[in-house]
Amino acid sequence: MFRKILIANRGEIALRIIWACKELGIRTVAVYSEADKDSLHVKFADEEVCIGPARSRDSYLNISAVISAAEITDADAIHPGYGFLSENAHFAEVCQECRLTFIGPTPEVIRLMGDKAMARQTMMRAGVPTIPGSEGIVPGVEEARRFASEVGYPVIIKASAGGGGRGMRVVRVEDDLQRNFEMAQAEAGAAFGVPDVYLEKYLDQPRHIEIQILGDRFGNLIHLNERECSIQRRHQKLIEEAPSPALSPALREKMAEVALAGAREVGYVNAGTIEFLLDEKRNFYFMEMNTRVQVEHPVTEFITGVDLIKEQIRIAAGEPLPYRQEDIGISGHSMECRVNAEDPDTFVPSPGRIRTFHAPGGPGVRVDTAAHQDCYISPYYDSMIAKLIVRGNSRTEAIGRMKRALDSFVVEGIRTTVPLHRKILSDPDFERGEISTHFMERFLAPRPSTEEEPVTG
Amino acid sequence: MDTAELKELMQLISESEFVEFELEQEGFKLRLIKAGAPAAAGPVPAAFLPQATLVPAAFPAAPAPPPAAEAAAASNENLAEVRSPIVGTFYRSPSPDAPAYVETGDRVKKGQVICIVEAMKLMNEIEAEVSGEVVEILAANGQPVEYGEILFRLRPSA
Repeated sequence: MFRKILIANRGEIALRIIWACKELGIRTVAVYSEADKDSLHVKFADEEVCIGPARSRDSYLNISAVISAAEITDADAIHPGYGFLSENAHFAEVCQECRLTFIGPTPEVIRLMGDKAMARQTMMRAGVPTIPGSEGIVPGVEEARRFASEVGYPVIIKASAGGGGRGMRVVRVEDDLQRNFEMAQAEAGAAFGVPDVYLEKYLDQPRHIEIQILGDRFGNLIHLNERECSIQRRHQKLIEEAPSPALSPALREKMAEVALAGAREVGYVNAGTIEFLLDEKRNFYFMEMNTRVQVEHPVTEFITGVDLIKEQIRIAAGEPLPYRQEDIGISGHSMECRVNAEDPDTFVPSPGRIRTFHAPGGPGVRVDTAAHQDCYISPYYDSMIAKLIVRGNSRTEAIGRMKRALDSFVVEGIRTTVPLHRKILSDPDFERGEISTHFMERFLAPRPSTEEEPVTG
Repeated sequence: MDTAELKELMQLISESEFVEFELEQEGFKLRLIKAGAPAAAGPVPAAFLPQATLVPAAFPAAPAPPPAAEAAAASNENLAEVRSPIVGTFYRSPSPDAPAYVETGDRVKKGQVICIVEAMKLMNEIEAEVSGEVVEILAANGQPVEYGEILFRLRPSA
């Protein structure tokens, strides 16, 4: 087992890793930028090293500074957390070369899964369904028609040289195909200089379902069920839950088997998550694989009783998984709200000093945060200041528990998204579990003034 | 631990062959390191000073600064600080048998190399940013230093 681990991260996840290390009797080294010198992760670690100025590029993303810190403190291993260097294959390689254990999968797997095209091909080889696409430019309407009738409508026409949501047209019926195809080509030529387009199956109201997996160095691979993360705004997750209200036991089993097949195909070791999109007909398609621990890992911990960070450390230390698949069950229902330092209506960032801070407690409530009274939320890093996670015996109880926890979460001095979460939790569609990745768009769309807003805490 | 016990402990360690000693108790942490210890032994603050650090209790408290730094704080006005731009190991000379780049009292010119900070087997030469006199050398040879750590204080020439 490792003697000393350096945590190459900050904020709540750095603390989370420190807690796991403390429980395992492992000494911890915190690295920090000058902006974080009073941070909790620095205070609670056994040792600390300042690695650079505030800017992430010069500190938390500065590979030589992080490695240097590991060298001068004689650390055995580095836990990269999420974000920052966690999916940087080059960093994982440097760790290997410096004889530091990188707590995560191998650089080769990180690199493979980081390349969207390669990841897709690899998953297809493993029999994992991927979103049907034309696999190349579609030169004319006839080819487009053929593709569309094969995969079924609706389809989306995308500019090959495009991006950022531009140059995309959704076609729902065959009669609209020719017109839209020709216009898409013209638009692509005008906007991107190249009139090439390709086609993909379009998923209406998809749900974001991801499967958590854990693999050890001995080839043992298990899944820890799914999380649903459909409540997103601009591809940023706001609320996650486990299990998903959309999955029957049969569908869960099918998706888990497919996820494991994908993981097995690449010989996956350590913690990882395979993300799928689930359409209204309950077809699911591979989206991407995240080769790190995720922000929303606590909801899985709550329903399975597994400490994912401790398992990551044990796996990296060469221990076999202490769980077989039959040991993993689903107990109750868990939800997480990401509390951001943002205005709950405009989403404008709200850095500043927190004057009053009181986190909720009580049964089935967990708060993962590095924020505290009098702490300063700086503008240099992402705006998430806390994760509020609850567990209930049912989804209904979890929702009720989350509402009362949000009502007693006091943060004064900065604006937070607590009131927004409170509103979402009261939405009838959300309460019924009728959600998709389009939920937030509808939720935030201007409402007629006659509608009453639910009272917020 | 009272002062007498602390003195006795320091004496014991000093006379022994141990280079580094650490003791952690409820609310109290003590780390003793012999001056000139090689970098491989772990974090090495200057000389042979006990550092009493409050272990985080209900709410973490900042560690007490070592006495030498406090004495130096008194006469810091107008002195230029040379801070380490990287994380690494501080060396006073270009190689183990070579003489130190500078000693206290030496005059240095802007751009002159005054020390090395080694990071990942690369020797980085650190230059004086101003011309002046070396008033204080705050890091010990072979000591690990962090980003922003003060290495020298210089009195700039007019």
